[in-house]
Amino acid sequence: MSMPPDTLPADAGPTAPAATAREAQQPAATPSRGAPQATAEASRPAAGANCHTDGAAPQAPAGAPVIALAGAPNVGKSTLFNALTGARRTVGNWPGTTVEVGRGAWTIPGGAVSLVDLPGAYSLDPLSPDEELTRDLLLNPDPAQRPDAVVVVASTAHLARSLYLVAQVRETTLPVIVALTMIDVATRRGIDVDTAALERALGCEVVSLDPRRRTGHEELDQVLRDVLDAGPLTPRGASAVGDHLSEAVSDGEQPAAYPMPDPTGGDGDGDGDSLARADERFAWIEHAIAVSVTERADRRQTWSDRIDRWATAPVIGPLLFLAVMWAVFQVTTKVAGPMQDALDGFFSGPVTDAARAGLGAVGLGGGVIEGFVTNGLIAGVGMVLTFVPLMALMFVLLAVLEDSGYMARAAVVTDRLMARLGLPGRAFLPLVVGFGCNVPAIAATRILPQARHRVLTALLVPFTSCSARLTVYVLLATTFFPDRAGTVVFAMYLTSIVLVVLIGLLLKSTLWRAVGADPLVLDLPPYQRPTVRLSLSVMWLRLQGFLRTASGIIVATVCVVWVLQSIPVVAGESFGSVPVADSLYAAISRLVAPLLTPAGFGEWQAVSALVVGFVAKEAVISSWAQTYAVADPSAGRVPGSLGHQLLQTFEVSSGGHAGVAVVAFMVFLLAYTPCVATLAAQKREIGMKWTVLGVGIGLIAAWVLSVLVFQVGRLFW
Amino acid sequence: MNAGPLTAVLAAFQSGVTSLDEVSTRTGLSRDVVAASVDHLVRLGRIEARSLAIGCPDGGCGTCASGTADGTAGCGSSGPSMRRFGPVLVSLSLRRPDR
Repeated sequence: MSMPPDTLPADAGPTAPAATAREAQQPAATPSRGAPQATAEASRPAAGANCHTDGAAPQAPAGAPVIALAGAPNVGKSTLFNALTGARRTVGNWPGTTVEVGRGAWTIPGGAVSLVDLPGAYSLDPLSPDEELTRDLLLNPDPAQRPDAVVVVASTAHLARSLYLVAQVRETTLPVIVALTMIDVATRRGIDVDTAALERALGCEVVSLDPRRRTGHEELDQVLRDVLDAGPLTPRGASAVGDHLSEAVSDGEQPAAYPMPDPTGGDGDGDGDSLARADERFAWIEHAIAVSVTERADRRQTWSDRIDRWATAPVIGPLLFLAVMWAVFQVTTKVAGPMQDALDGFFSGPVTDAARAGLGAVGLGGGVIEGFVTNGLIAGVGMVLTFVPLMALMFVLLAVLEDSGYMARAAVVTDRLMARLGLPGRAFLPLVVGFGCNVPAIAATRILPQARHRVLTALLVPFTSCSARLTVYVLLATTFFPDRAGTVVFAMYLTSIVLVVLIGLLLKSTLWRAVGADPLVLDLPPYQRPTVRLSLSVMWLRLQGFLRTASGIIVATVCVVWVLQSIPVVAGESFGSVPVADSLYAAISRLVAPLLTPAGFGEWQAVSALVVGFVAKEAVISSWAQTYAVADPSAGRVPGSLGHQLLQTFEVSSGGHAGVAVVAFMVFLLAYTPCVATLAAQKREIGMKWTVLGVGIGLIAAWVLSVLVFQVGRLFW
Repeated sequence: MNAGPLTAVLAAFQSGVTSLDEVSTRTGLSRDVVAASVDHLVRLGRIEARSLAIGCPDGGCGTCASGTADGTAGCGSSGPSMRRFGPVLVSLSLRRPDR
């Protein structure tokens, strides 16, 4: 039954006569939407009660129908509220709660109604006080608290998300209007909604509008008027309660309460019931969308989706990733090479000369101190610092790949590979981190839920080739394979991936037979244009880490190596003036060297670098620089001379197969313990027992693989 | 009751899909419905969703073995940032009752 329009004067104040007139004309037992019971009017929170007013905010007359404005957050609800009420509202806590609601007068044909801006709620299953209030108001069986109708604001661009609330409200008899917003966004994305079809599917009125441009409001005004006049809706699904209500309405009876899914807000007795109920609602939503929403074929996929078709494809994806990484190493080695040579010349020339002159001026020239400064600090640390341009360039390129979102796709590709091998899927993340630095990668194993997964992954991380090892690869690759340095470095990274997979499979089939792969789904962020500032800041952050290592642990290592190289082990030599071949440093290395003769690098110069490399991989470079500088200090350092001396060493140790021997050396370097910081991180995360086992696995793998590479390789090379 | 979208999405998770696009392809549901279903399953506690930022552990540098005393990165890796640079993924996994 319709309520006479003249009972709702648009400009009536909150005075008794209007309400009285309305009540007087209201048939006592007629379930009209626009005419709730008198008792309800009396107990309904009065407009403005417990509220403060934002300026002069006219309210609907007391007893005017109350319309709830509901919807998920960020769908344009408040914008619509402002548009409907002229942005005049009172704001205050809802009685009995701490939840703030806005109220305002909304003029529709026939009079003003009180519009209540409910807190944003995705559903009527509350997870917050805001959602609880929305649930209580919409489902409360007390007529005094109940709105006369509800307008659910739904984003057209994310219709499925918005319709869950509609599905729940449609399980009651509450008159409901769905107000579609963000039409423009949806249109840009190629989404079109047939509102007539959506109305039929939802069983309620649907109005398209644009609150920002204030279009569609007149239609909404009229639709609300019609809805208020039409009476209660039949709940969707025609449940037993709904049927009962329909019968009651047809008999002209006032229902005692609006039926609802569950007066407590729950959805059944157990998880299974909740899922089944929600599943039924989503099936209803899916049907509504299927019959009313069309996506233009050319707009169904964003450009991110189109790129991802290739970037995450099972075969093309890994190949693309490898091609990208090959390009990174090519650019890095080609562009940084000349800068590296220039820096080498700078440290071995002007810096060394200045240090000698300075020390000579203060009477320390020509002695132990000068040897320590020039052949120790400047030669060792300076050689490590020559890699700054190379590291900076690589860090920039990787930062660009990360910032653009491509590295996330690479992670998906890696994840898929690991999942197919039966390794824990989530383990890919620490492993990807490990290609930058093993230490944070070990810490990142905490994201794994099971202890066995953490141990397994922490043991695999050292096999990922960190950026410190890159410096040694570059030095050796540019020396031994000058024309194919980038490809050689890239091959070492490929070897690293293969090693991770092989060792992972080995451990899985032995120590962790019961380890299963967790189902893992990744939601990828869209691609974005890398920003120069961000890429440079990431590069600088990482470069600082490299410089901190060079200025801290490398300086300390250089000092220890210099002391060991200064201690003579043969009679007749004195501290500080002993040839390094007769030093304690060489003597210790010679003890270990025979073990590595089968791998083609059983000379003390190569072995000593590996021993020092336990501390940090950059120290391999500095120790070589010290060794060869001290070996012939009178000759002075010539830019690039380190490479030539290395070439001679490997020629001797390999019996003329220097190329194969240096590859075997790089494989050994890749597989054995990365650095003491990684060991400390491992001990902290997985304990001493597993750390020691990891060191053992690394050394055994390094020895076996390097011997295999050399012995097989020298047959062909 | 026939299997609805939520059941279909859960089944796709259990079968080992690796992205929401794959879920969409396998279930025949629109991407919008899949995304809404995943959101709802997270609300129901059936699925866990957590952001994974490559470059540092979840707890930031303070929980990292190489973190400095003042809580900043000490390793050269990208540290935590308000801008959350680096690849950020949302890992969605089936929640198990024993966790």
